[in-house]
Amino acid sequence: MARIELEGIQKRWGDVWGVRDVNIDIADEEFVVFLGPSGCGKTTTMRMIAGLEDPSEGEVRMDGEVMNEIDARDRDVAMVFQGYALYPNMSIYENIRFPLRMRGVAKAEQDRLVREAAGMTELSEYLDRKPGALSGGQRQRAALARAIVRQPQAFLMDEPLSNLDAKLRQAMRVQIKHIQRELRITTVYVTHDQIEAMTLADRIVIMQSGAIQQIGTPDEIYSDPANTFVAGFIGAPPMNLIEGTLAEGTFTAPGVTVPGLGGAHGGPVTLGVRPEDCRVGGETSHASGTVYGVEPTGDMTYLTLKAGDKLLEIKAPRTYRAGLDSPETVAFDPAHIYLFDSATGARLR
Amino acid sequence: MATARRSKGESRFIRYLILGAWALFCLLPVIWFLSIGLRPRVEIITPRPIYWPTFSLDAWHMIWEDWPMGKYLRNSVLAIFGSVLIDLVLAIPAAFALSRYQFRGRDDIAFYILSTRMMAPAIVAIPIFFLFRNAGLLDTIWALMFVYAAINLSVVTWIIRSYMLDIPKELEDAARTDGASDLRILWEIIIPAVLPGIITASVIAMIFAINEFLFTLLIASTPDAYTMSVALANFTGGSDGVIYNAIALVAFLAFVPVFLVVVAIQKHLSRGLTMGAVKG
Repeated sequence: MARIELEGIQKRWGDVWGVRDVNIDIADEEFVVFLGPSGCGKTTTMRMIAGLEDPSEGEVRMDGEVMNEIDARDRDVAMVFQGYALYPNMSIYENIRFPLRMRGVAKAEQDRLVREAAGMTELSEYLDRKPGALSGGQRQRAALARAIVRQPQAFLMDEPLSNLDAKLRQAMRVQIKHIQRELRITTVYVTHDQIEAMTLADRIVIMQSGAIQQIGTPDEIYSDPANTFVAGFIGAPPMNLIEGTLAEGTFTAPGVTVPGLGGAHGGPVTLGVRPEDCRVGGETSHASGTVYGVEPTGDMTYLTLKAGDKLLEIKAPRTYRAGLDSPETVAFDPAHIYLFDSATGARLR
Repeated sequence: MATARRSKGESRFIRYLILGAWALFCLLPVIWFLSIGLRPRVEIITPRPIYWPTFSLDAWHMIWEDWPMGKYLRNSVLAIFGSVLIDLVLAIPAAFALSRYQFRGRDDIAFYILSTRMMAPAIVAIPIFFLFRNAGLLDTIWALMFVYAAINLSVVTWIIRSYMLDIPKELEDAARTDGASDLRILWEIIIPAVLPGIITASVIAMIFAINEFLFTLLIASTPDAYTMSVALANFTGGSDGVIYNAIALVAFLAFVPVFLVVVAIQKHLSRGLTMGAVKG
């Protein structure tokens, strides 16, 4: 139950930059997800909050108190690791009890808290087992139980679900969110999976190359991306990004012509449009080309259209079918067309 | 084509036959020792081989009654276990520091520790003799304990370190955020996780120590500090001549405990001997 502030955080090892100038203010009880490709600095940022890594510059504050000089074991944050990091020689009961024992909680209280945490994570019947005798999902729950047992100031979760299969991941996602809401503990969650980020987060922090690209609610990140990186990272399939030229309000690229974009900008721009904001056929045509692939999934059909030398992803109605290389036209929803500066990638508004 | 197809049972029989023959070949010296140790002295020095020797406990009685073998055995056990204990007390913290902390010269220190093993024993034999003489420790079990510990410390440190390097860093990070101090992490997380490595290192150190001869001979001048390996040498001189059956029996007795321990932990042992092959 703490507010976490990062101000001007930098991390470098010699000439190698891990994190550059990260500023975030995480509210009490908030669920914040750090999202980005591997090596973007999200885990390093989290480890600096935990105290496992020292920032080269900047301040980490919890509830206004500067934490830089405070050792990890005195920060009262609980961490869940990608590899679970259960102590292999201890039973699940001992694993969950470990943080309580380290903090000198009274014996009777320890037992009560361990059983409570085990109950919340549905582990009550596995308390006597060693971690090696549990399945991946059970181990993940044990790691979670060890984190929640002492009601810390904050949860830090480093890709906790990435070792689980897809079905289990979804079930655990719901469970993590439920527990976080119930315990009302500030949570920082690191992932490279945009679905996890979208479903779990109050706010998403998108990082790339050690720098924050955008901070916002899942809705903001999705419908109002700050640059081409965010636009291309979020969404499945991601936003189509077409490089071309804007002149007198008309965007042109090989196979693509979009008029009526206003005269505010000009020159080389990148046009972005999400697969679900494209309509196949119809009277207007913004892109024309040939069918490259058709993938029915049941509730919809993915059409890949080759316009010029660019492949565009389109979500078509589920009944849509077309032969390979047959000509097709696509119209973009004018309300959901995004323009980006081709040189910097920044959004043009 | 009329290829002869062997049945499963047949090929298994051949496999066991080959392995059995190889095992017998390897065990032959041991069997030979035992057979010499358990026959009367006159049957040892005959010009013609005796295939069915007379069974005799002469040598057995001799080594226990005429020689203070019990004392030698006790000396061996005390010196060896004492030295392993010293090694573990020193090597575990050293291995922890060398495997889990980042500091300047870490790998150089690790290599320096190993390099002490590369020294020819004869080079340090004389200085060590004077060292212990000045300390008044000559002809004591303490001196043997320290020498064995010093010889083995590098190997023990390296084996335990290689096991510690395999422990995921996450485990330590988890313990730290759970509120554990470095000492707690070592005691409650690291040591239990490297227990197989500690046992392996201890056994390897014991084998080195039980076979140690040069330094023991140098330090021990009376039965007060004789160990089994030096006691063996006592049967070769004196008015009785070379007492082959006693030598064979004592050698066999020194071999058996090591053999049993090695069999019991052989799975871990192979890991210890290939340490650093992948990481290190």
